[in-house]
Amino acid sequence: MKKLKIIWEAIIPNNPVLIISIGLCSVIAVSNSVKSALLMTLVFALVQIPSNIIISAMRKIIPNELRVPIFVSVIAAFTTIAALLSQAFFNPIYQVIKLYILLVVVNCIIIGRAEAFAYTNGIFDSLLDGIGNTIGYGLVLVTIAIMRELIGKGTLAGIQIMSESYQPMLLMILPPAGFIFIGILTGAIETYLKQKGGKE
Amino acid sequence: MKSVLKFALNFGIIAAIIGLALAVVFQITDPIIKLQDAKALQEGLQNVFNGNYEFPELEKPIQSLDPSVQILKTFLVRDKNSNSIEGGVLTVVVAGSQAPIKMLVGVKKDGTISGISILAMQETAGLGANADNPSYYVNKKNKITFLGQFKGKNVEKDKLIPKEDIIAITGATITSKAISTGSKVAGESFLQYLKEAHQ
Repeated sequence: MKKLKIIWEAIIPNNPVLIISIGLCSVIAVSNSVKSALLMTLVFALVQIPSNIIISAMRKIIPNELRVPIFVSVIAAFTTIAALLSQAFFNPIYQVIKLYILLVVVNCIIIGRAEAFAYTNGIFDSLLDGIGNTIGYGLVLVTIAIMRELIGKGTLAGIQIMSESYQPMLLMILPPAGFIFIGILTGAIETYLKQKGGKE
Repeated sequence: MKSVLKFALNFGIIAAIIGLALAVVFQITDPIIKLQDAKALQEGLQNVFNGNYEFPELEKPIQSLDPSVQILKTFLVRDKNSNSIEGGVLTVVVAGSQAPIKMLVGVKKDGTISGISILAMQETAGLGANADNPSYYVNKKNKITFLGQFKGKNVEKDKLIPKEDIIAITGATITSKAISTGSKVAGESFLQYLKEAHQ
């Protein structure tokens, strides 16, 4: 039960994007298309989960003074691996969001989890934390992407959903819409947490 | 001293494991990426200069007449039957709104654009990215795409300026301007090269 709580905590009560408000840049940048959001979530998983495991496994031998450069080295290695795999197998989407995939190396969520969780907890717990944060980040990203793409382009994952007479709302494709939806989802999640009595 | 050596050894082992993982992934993905690039280039060349042609690459790319437009590669277009040079295809890089746009510009020897194909770009989805969207029409009535409108334009006679003789993509002025400028400069540079080659 305690193990499941680690995952749950990362998805709702401590959601990195909606509650802790970190990693917003990539969410806003890639959430205007469902395909981009799904690839970004995959890349995030390929970096977050193994980085957490490796850092947790190394925690006893990492000197406190050297921890940040070591975290960044590990995360950079997995980012490179994720970028190569994306380029090889999802090249068209990779070409569009390449910049943000490479910037995963400095994603606050990944570095933050390495510092706050993986460095002080066991390997299995760190794996669960990585999975939880990936789900928490991915859910927000994909939810926002569905809304933005549908309203902004009338499509979902490139497939026309709205009728041809629908006039797309261009604002939804632009960065401000990302902030608007993050605000709406944060409001919803905060209300839910207050009703559950888990947060004042 | 002992603890330093222990740290170095442990960290060295972990670095070696990660390095090995990187090497394995690189070995797997590199041929696939190279194959994709080569395929994209071949498709692009056929796309911008459709016909019975072969595309020998010049050893040294031609000089760009505008420093804001970079010419990476130059392919001559040679008719397979007559062996005559019918034009050129240039790999061009221009600054887009988010990141550089890499494209192929095909130019006939009389200065007419035969076609444009985007190789890589990171323009905003739904806005600048529509430059390469085959279902986005700048002229809905005649179903003409943004890139499609360049076909048949002449780099010497036409200005190739958005909102003048080029229909811009709605909400993507920078992308429209970048592609137009890139095409114009590529075409003019190629004609300049042809003139110099015949002197």
